Amino acid sequence: MSLTADNLSWTSRGKTIVEGISLDVQPGEFLGLIGPNGSGKSTFLRLLAGLRRPSTGSVLLKGEPLKRMKQRDIARIMAFVEQQADTEDALSARAAVRLGRTPWLSPLSPWGTRDDDIVARALQDVQMQDKADQPWHTLSGGEKQRVHIARALAQQPELLLLDEPTNHLDIRHQIGILNLLHKLGRTTVIALHDLNHALDCDRIAVLMDGRLRAVGTADELLTEEFLYETFGIRGRFV
Amino acid sequence: MVSKTDFEAPSLSGLGKLFGSLWRPLIGGAAIVCAAILSGLLIGETRIPPDIAFKVLANKIFGANYDVNAIDSDILWSYRLTRAIVAACCGAGLAISGVVLQALLRNALAEPYLLGISAGASTGAVLATVAGFGGGAVSLSAGAFGGALAAFAIVVSLAHFAGGGTARKGSVQIVLAGIAGSQLFNALTSFIIARSANSDQARGIMFWLMGNMSGVRWEDVAVAVVIVVIGFIVIAWHARPLDAFTFGTDAAASVGVPVRRVQTVLILTTALLTAAMVSIVGAIGFVGLVIPHMARFIVGHSHAKLIPAAAVFGAVFLIFADITSRIIIPGQVLPIGVITALIGAPVFAAILIRGQRT
Repeated sequence: MSLTADNLSWTSRGKTIVEGISLDVQPGEFLGLIGPNGSGKSTFLRLLAGLRRPSTGSVLLKGEPLKRMKQRDIARIMAFVEQQADTEDALSARAAVRLGRTPWLSPLSPWGTRDDDIVARALQDVQMQDKADQPWHTLSGGEKQRVHIARALAQQPELLLLDEPTNHLDIRHQIGILNLLHKLGRTTVIALHDLNHALDCDRIAVLMDGRLRAVGTADELLTEEFLYETFGIRGRFV
Repeated sequence: MVSKTDFEAPSLSGLGKLFGSLWRPLIGGAAIVCAAILSGLLIGETRIPPDIAFKVLANKIFGANYDVNAIDSDILWSYRLTRAIVAACCGAGLAISGVVLQALLRNALAEPYLLGISAGASTGAVLATVAGFGGGAVSLSAGAFGGALAAFAIVVSLAHFAGGGTARKGSVQIVLAGIAGSQLFNALTSFIIARSANSDQARGIMFWLMGNMSGVRWEDVAVAVVIVVIGFIVIAWHARPLDAFTFGTDAAASVGVPVRRVQTVLILTTALLTAAMVSIVGAIGFVGLVIPHMARFIVGHSHAKLIPAAAVFGAVFLIFADITSRIIIPGQVLPIGVITALIGAPVFAAILIRGQRT
């Protein structure tokens, strides 16, 4: 058990976004989060990542409550990739990946050649080594997302959390990114907006109206009745 | 695979490495600033030959006994040198405050004015001096600091209640809140002046509000130097966390930056820097806005380079702005804020037209 949500709820301005979710993430598994828009996937991921404080309940990372851990220690174990994190700064792809070394550095333990190696390897893992020195705004959406994943890898985390990383990409890049994530083989929790992508996950967690409706494998869950109840569509996977 | 324990706990050797990598840029920057201060000492309306200037420095610093005209000595030591040093501190302080606010708010237009910190400091200072708030127990600088913090608190809570909880939206809200705050505090300042000040006082205050180096004394120099050095160390220490804000607060948090704490420490530091500068020389515009952009254009985005570069550029810029304000109209000294705005506004327009945050 590497990451555990224990009865998590999150309320904002009197509106409950996430309600009473308990979930165990197993080491090494690829866990997909699916659910209609507004079902609370993003918020739930942010609670897991320690970016929001739960209103009630708690998140345990390797058995320790997140709220008692330092942000830096969390970032050494778990990396988070947002749906779309952009900047107007003209920094290079490599400089963006370098940010992933932040939790390992301080003014007294400054950047070293080892960090250069880790950054280079992360860029290689996402096949961006050839574009490493291009300015950020010249990268395509898919390339930016690859750089963000490389930044996450540079943190040397045991867990990757990703919030719909393929949302704004065309189909070719969507598949490219997902294949990449599968190949990396880390413990992964990923919010997905496309049910087809959920088929490749080890397990799927289905959220609806802020609640966890079901957890299981694709075969168990993605049935005709289930799709209708959850997404209001008639269909089946062929 | 490198084992993770290799990265643990900084040691004394870390401290050594830090100084090892720092001394060159530190000495280089200090040399540039000293050269600029020397220019401030040598250039002025009254022509004083350089050898006299060096004699005065030798007399005052090393206790030498050169025979120098007392008036020349006074002009150099108590007028030009104090102004040049305070200008350097002020320029450096405002420039690094601008760097911090632009990084934290991810907004190219951010600077102490945007948050209304300068306006609040002015109101506090005027309240303490003209309106006699606190019965004389509150000094001008204490009033300015109180005003700066009050302005900051008001602007931040306004932004918060306007729904600026999240990263991206928060930037917009705080800019708007800052504009509202500045307007409010400027109006309050005008109101206090109109109500309480006589016409002489009013003229003096308006002059000071535009940024004015006249009447800067050695006590002011001491305060300015101490506060800028402390502010610089605190801000430079946070160079790497500031880099992490490039992609917003959530991205910063996810690479391990304790966002709340860093924001609080850095914003208090900029408030302190701004209040100190406003209380000594009044509100000087455009330095906090233009210098960081210039520095970014030259040394790039990494805050480890950007912060020292902005400090040096800001110091040099304001020293020369001060020299210009002293000599441009014979027999008269312009408020330095007029000069910085005259230079800064076109430069800023150029930055806007280039369209990109460089």
